[in-house]
Formats: sequence, structure tokens, C-alpha cells
Amino acid sequence: MAILEARGLTRVYRVGEERIAGIRDATLSVAEGEFAVLAGPSGSGKTTLLNLLGLLDRADEGTLLFEGRDVSALPERERSRLRRERIGFVFQAHQLVPVLTARENVALAVWIRGLPEGECRRRAGEALEAVGLAELSERRPETLSGGQRQRVAVARALVGGPAVILADEPTASLDSETALGLLGLFAALHRERGAAFVFSSHDPAIVSRARRRLTLRDGRITSDDLSFGSGAGA
Amino acid sequence: MTLRWWRFAGRNLFRHRRRTLLTGSIVVVGFVAVTMTAGFMAQTFDALRGATIDALGGHVRVFDPRAEGKTDEEAQAYLLDDWEGLSRLIREDRRVVRVLPKLSFFGLVVKGERSVAYLGTGTDPALEIASGHAPEMLVQGAYFSNRDGEDVMLGAGLARSLGAKAGDLVTVMTATPDGALNAVDADVTGILQYPIKEVDDRLLFLPYRTAARLLKAEGKVHVLAVRLADDGQTDSAARSIGAVARAAGRPVAVKTWLETAAFYRQVRLLYIAIFLFTGIVLAVVVVLAVANTMTMSVFERTREIGTLLAIGMEREQVRRLFLLEGLLLAAAGAIVGAIASLLLRAVLNAMGLQMPPPPGGTRGALLFIRFFPSAYAAGFALMTATLLVASWWPARRASRLDPVEALAHV
Repeated sequence: MAILEARGLTRVYRVGEERIAGIRDATLSVAEGEFAVLAGPSGSGKTTLLNLLGLLDRADEGTLLFEGRDVSALPERERSRLRRERIGFVFQAHQLVPVLTARENVALAVWIRGLPEGECRRRAGEALEAVGLAELSERRPETLSGGQRQRVAVARALVGGPAVILADEPTASLDSETALGLLGLFAALHRERGAAFVFSSHDPAIVSRARRRLTLRDGRITSDDLSFGSGAGA
Repeated sequence: MTLRWWRFAGRNLFRHRRRTLLTGSIVVVGFVAVTMTAGFMAQTFDALRGATIDALGGHVRVFDPRAEGKTDEEAQAYLLDDWEGLSRLIREDRRVVRVLPKLSFFGLVVKGERSVAYLGTGTDPALEIASGHAPEMLVQGAYFSNRDGEDVMLGAGLARSLGAKAGDLVTVMTATPDGALNAVDADVTGILQYPIKEVDDRLLFLPYRTAARLLKAEGKVHVLAVRLADDGQTDSAARSIGAVARAAGRPVAVKTWLETAAFYRQVRLLYIAIFLFTGIVLAVVVVLAVANTMTMSVFERTREIGTLLAIGMEREQVRRLFLLEGLLLAAAGAIVGAIASLLLRAVLNAMGLQMPPPPGGTRGALLFIRFFPSAYAAGFALMTATLLVASWWPARRASRLDPVEALAHV
């Protein structure tokens, strides 16, 4: 079953009098447990497509199905609920809350659901352990390295048990060794947890690790290669 | 909202400690200003109320119903007969401490070549002394004590105009209720300083019996001033005194001191208006300072708010988070403000600062700021409401951010 199914998604931005298409007529399907990369140069529409798939933005045209349900016109509150419960996000910069510890940052993603404190702490501890940061759980982000912060962000995306994790250039602010390590973590978590991973990157070394590659150029999906690359996510 | 939301809000406040401390200090100053002003006002009202009740001779005034609504001059013609019988009747009420007879008259007081208009009161010297307050006003000589003596006491302003001092002989002239002129030569036994200048400039006291002879009104009074043990019983005592007197076949009009004391009401209104104006100015200053801080905070945390919205935090939760930050700042500011206020109050009260006379007054008093618990409660409520108002727009702005734009914010 497809977790995400996009049919003819188009998103147009108005800059002054000009209309710029961020994404045009994007049609794709992300299956359960898939490990896919959105590849393409800067400005090709990767972030716009991820924002649409993650229900952060609304398409001007087209339809988006999430777990078989049309979510194109869902009200704001229902979109928030889906993001909270079924989607995990990892951003280019870690985007952690600086006044919270690593554990609290991870727990935040579940305590906004209203889960009890103890349950949030337990889940956050497990997620941090899964990303190899159990010992650093009481540290604040400013005391962690870039790679460690991004791992905390991954734990935050995982903690709610999402059906899909969307990561927008998650390795862009990391050195190549740390970036490959993070991708290895993605692959391991993908194998262990079975959630679909969709991430964007313009780095060929990173892109080559995905099994499926969707290439974007000027807002269009120009190719969709299955069984591409080394299959790190398999 | 659970404890973790409060904890989160509290930590957010300490992102920029210096800024939070500066904003918090504005809240503290606002709280101190409210409580100190209210404490000073409460003390002033108490003092003025006490002085007004003393000046009127009691909490309740009983008089001839025909005098009601008349000018002072017209009311001169209406006297209560057998005041002693009526006084006995009133004193049966356990709330009543004493009943003072009052005869009012006016005319000229003459010393040598000088004559000055006066407003006179005939009263019982022993009862006045027993009331405790009157002798405190004495600035020269002695308080009169002879019930039948041809003695007089003058306000300091009147004595000055007349050039009289204790021990001098003056002539008190007036018209009797039937229009005849009458006069009495009296020794000035004492000079009083009355707290209200306009009254002090015209004040004259004679013993009741001397005044009654002068007015040819023996056994009669214009007013019986009834002193009560408890201020809070004034209204109910006034109602029952009127009812008892009427039931005994003595038709009387009864008024409380507050109904009679226009000056007290005006001063109270003036002080309240000043207090409200000051409060509004303070609230506006606090709102602007806090709103500025919160707006800066929202601006600086735009990407973070975008992240929170992206991971599924409800807009309502974002709004509440910022409102909680405002509430926490209000609570912390109010607690520190209350401590500062209590300390400042203790220091100021211990310093013995002399205050200028109140409006229309002749004597200042030592500064005393009363502990007024309601003011602390009001200060807390005001600061809470003010900070909620101040946080509302920044919180609303934060909750309405578009997550995509917020995440791209630089």
C-alpha cells in the first residue's frame, strides 16, 4: 500500500507580478518501507515537494493521498494531527529547541500529543538509544556536535512511530564522513523500523546510497529510477 | 496546561536573561507603584474619614426633619426639643458610645476694633473631651471645661484674623431664632487648629448651655451627633435610631456622616481618579515594554516556531506557550514586587517623613503607608491582566506563522 500518492501536484509562488512554479505536475507514489531520495540541483523543487508531501504546504493543483485518504483539502487542525502522529521530519539544520535537553527535544514530539510525562520520557530514551545518544540525553544542543544534533533530530522524527520520515537535505550542514554516518543510521533505522524514508540531497555520494532516486529539475520530476544505487536502505 | 508547559515557558524566559530581567523589573516597579499608592491612599482615606467623623461629632446626625434640604441659614429655625430625653432614647442602642448636643449659630465675634464673621457650635465640653479627638487640635491655652462658663474657643485662623489669643476677652454676637440680637462676653480659653482651613478661619466653640442662653434655646439642639463603637455599623445604626425615635413619637431626620461629608467624598473621588490615571499610565508602560520584548522573542524564534508547527504542535499550543511566558513574567514580577513593596513600606514608615497638608487642610501628617492586602491582590491582578494583554498580539502572531515561511526564515 502506498503511504503517499501525489497526482499532478503543482505549487506556484507569486513574486511581485511574476508567477514561479516551485513544483509542476508532480506525480509519484511512496510505498510502505520505501527508501527514496529526491535528487536535483538547488532550486529544482526538492524542498517544495517535501513540504507538500509533509502537509506543511498546500498544492495549487493536484491531489495528495496519505495512506489512501485524500488529504489535499484537509483542515489545518487535521493536517497538524497527521504531521504529529504519522510523519517525522528532519531538517537541514537540526532545528532543536536550545533551552531543552536532547531528551526533552525528542520527548517534545510526543508530549504535544498529550501523552503522560513518564511515557514521553521512556519513548524519548528509546529513540535516543536507537540513534546512539543515550548517554548524552541530558545535554543541551549547544554542547553537542553537528552530527550529534542531527541524530537528536532523527530521534525526534522517530519517536512518534511515523509511517514516513521526510528529511530535507539532512546532511547538507555536515562533513562528508558525518553525513555518510547519518545516512547509515537512516538505513539501519529503516531496516529496523520499517518506516518509509524520503530525503532530499544534491550530493551524489549521498544520492547513490538510496534504492530509489527521483530526479527533479526546474520543478519537474524528470526521472524515477528504482533499484538505483547501492541500496543502503534495503 | 501541565507542568511541562510551564517549565518550557519558564526556560524560554531565560534565553535572554538580561532582557527578561529588564522587562521583569518594569513589572516590579509597576507592582510597587500600585501597592504603595494604594496603601498611601487607604491610609489617607482612613485619616480623612476619622477627621471628618470627629469634626461632625459622630457617625450619625439626628436633626429636625423640617431642616432637611434647607440651607444652613434656613435650618437655623428648626430645633429639636428635649434633647436630653431624645439622647437617653438613642443611648439605649448598644452600638452608641455617646450623643453630643450641637447648636449651630453664626454672627460676628468682636475684639476691640476688629470684628470677624464666625460659624459657631455650642457643645458639651465634658462630652467633647471624652470623645478624645478635640483636645488634640488645641494649639494654645486649655480646652474649655465649665459647662456653664462664659468661655469660648476659636479656630487658629479666626484667632489670627481677630488678633486674639488665649486669655483675651471677646464678644460673641448672634441673632436668636426669632430674630433678636444677642451677645455674650466670653474668655478665650483655647485656640484650636482645625485640619480644614476654610473651617479653621471661622471656627468658634461655646459651651452648650452658654450657647443655648445666647440663642434663647435652652433644652434645644440643632443636631444630636451620635458616636458609634464601630464604623461598619453606621448605616444599620442610622436606620434603627430613626425608627426608634419615630416609634417614641419623636419625628427626626437621620443622616450618616458620609451623606453629610461632601468634602470627604470629593477628596476621595479626586484621589481615586488620580490613582486610576496613574494605574492606566503604568499599565500602558508595562504593556509597551512587555509587548516589545515578546515581539522580539517571536521574531528571534521564528524558525523554531516553524519547527514546532511542522512537527505537529497546534497553533493554539503555540499561542498558549507565549501567553504562559507572559503569565510567568507577571507572577515573578508580582512576587518580587510584593517583597520590594513590603521592604520599601517599612523603610518609608520608619523614616518619619512629614507630608504637606491634604487639600484644604492646615496640618500635615507623618507619611504612613498602610499594609493594604487588597492592593497586593489588585496589583497581582493588574500585572497579570496587563501582561496577558501585552503577550496577546505576539502570541497570536507566533501562532499564525506559516510553517514553510517560518522554516525558511533567516
